[in-house]
Amino acid sequence: MALGACAKAFSNESGPSAREHGRLRGLLDLDFQRAGASNRTALIRSLQEPPLRVVRAFEREDGSALAHLHNVSGGVLGGDSLMLRVRLGQEASAQLTTTGATRIYRPRVDAPTAVQINEIFVGEDALLEYVPDPIIPFSGARFSQRTTIHLAPRAGLFWWEILGPGREARGEIFQYEMIEMITDIVADGCRIAAERTRLEPESGDPHSLARLGNYRYLASFYICRVGLDAKAWIAAEEQLRQVARTAAYSSDTLWGISALAADGVVLRCLAQRGLDASSGLHTIWRAAKTLLFHRETIPPRKVN
Amino acid sequence: MRPVDLLPTSEPFPPSADLTGLRLLQLADSALPIGSLTHSFGLESLVAKEILTKKHLASFFRGYIEEAGMMDAVFCREGWRLGSVKEGEFSSSRWREINELFSALKPARETRSASSSLGDNFLCAVLACGDFPLLREALAADGPDRKRPGQMGPKRKRMPIHHSPAFGLACAVLRIDQDHATLSYLHQSVASLVSACQRLMPLGQREAMRLVWDLKPTIIETAERSRMRGIEDVSCSMPLLDWGSMEHPALSTRLFIS
Repeated sequence: MALGACAKAFSNESGPSAREHGRLRGLLDLDFQRAGASNRTALIRSLQEPPLRVVRAFEREDGSALAHLHNVSGGVLGGDSLMLRVRLGQEASAQLTTTGATRIYRPRVDAPTAVQINEIFVGEDALLEYVPDPIIPFSGARFSQRTTIHLAPRAGLFWWEILGPGREARGEIFQYEMIEMITDIVADGCRIAAERTRLEPESGDPHSLARLGNYRYLASFYICRVGLDAKAWIAAEEQLRQVARTAAYSSDTLWGISALAADGVVLRCLAQRGLDASSGLHTIWRAAKTLLFHRETIPPRKVN
Repeated sequence: MRPVDLLPTSEPFPPSADLTGLRLLQLADSALPIGSLTHSFGLESLVAKEILTKKHLASFFRGYIEEAGMMDAVFCREGWRLGSVKEGEFSSSRWREINELFSALKPARETRSASSSLGDNFLCAVLACGDFPLLREALAADGPDRKRPGQMGPKRKRMPIHHSPAFGLACAVLRIDQDHATLSYLHQSVASLVSACQRLMPLGQREAMRLVWDLKPTIIETAERSRMRGIEDVSCSMPLLDWGSMEHPALSTRLFIS
């Protein structure tokens, strides 16, 4: 089902927390706007249908807004259908994070695949930083995440996802049924990045060198700024590659960095440990924000 | 429009099965002069870091065919469908969409560039052998209509044309069967990469031949399954090879362009 049709079908259904055929629908619709002539970004509107919640947006030293995305179910249950819609108005600046790892629970046998749809709109000269905790799929989990990000002229984006192998402490390594991550980034009307990751450990061995090899964690990190020319991105690719190499990570982590078709770079990380992936992403994020936006990074406040 | 040698064709329509078969053999030959032997698509990095060794090749290529091979097969079929239309009905906008999506699906810059170089060279090579108006139109198609603030010059630039959809497109124009086109594309793609492995590691001629020989069932199965997929629901999960492609520009010694 095409992304647009999926989202449209979702929004056509009415009623909060609709439950149909065992499928819980949750919605988080957030609108961030810059407040007049000031430097501040505020969350001016939020539509929330459980289990998705934002308690409030915090104002930060640089005028940006920070919001924590909550799933009050504690995780994604089998059959859940969740939507996150985020709009940033012109010159707005917002950071979104989670309160902890996103757990994908094992579904009932007859439950449909859990789906999360993200529709993101970043306005002209706006900046969105989406920096969540890892996704941990439990044994038997089936999950599809479909993200479409629209970037207006001169919009900026930091967007990462970290996929873990499962509940490692319990020995659940690649015991999920299916995890699918579909991502499209459209800049100024043109699709500049598309990701179609689909891992089904039963039918396609994740340990194959054609997939993850000996690595357990997979992260993708998109860094975009619409309007910078191709040469600037080649230079950024090389500089960020150096940052990744010189940082003090475990030798069991691979960092690949490459310029996109236009307007950005993408990073792929393969790691043995989630902490190595997370800390590396934070380091590269800091370097990239300074390099591309001449601004300092303010990591989200959280207890971890 | 690119200057190409336009040779009049004088052949019976439809072409005989022998003729299409021989043409397909030539188009799918790794010796076709389009540059396919100069690219490793990230394998060189995996070998340099000693991640990929000879003992892993069979399982690696099976996974490669299931993932990247599937994606290529789907795009090859899509190109074929676009090329099988009646004269004057070729959709440049759909051709642009296909190639734009393919570009977006290739995260590594060198791999993206390699694929579009091969696609471009492939169409030029076919056009050097005959007058095919649809292929000329495909080769000359413009890129997205975008102008940046402050940008000088024309809004449009010629778009990247990728190898797998170009292969399918040309095969359709040449009246080559869709399934045979898809199988042949996959086969030549694997054969080229195995050839790259012969230059990257101590893989002998007969070992390489045996490897390609044994991969045929996987190629056939993948080509068969690709019939059920469209380009909007295709998947490809090869993060380790993505890393290899992204890391390739930083290798201190390189035999391959990608």
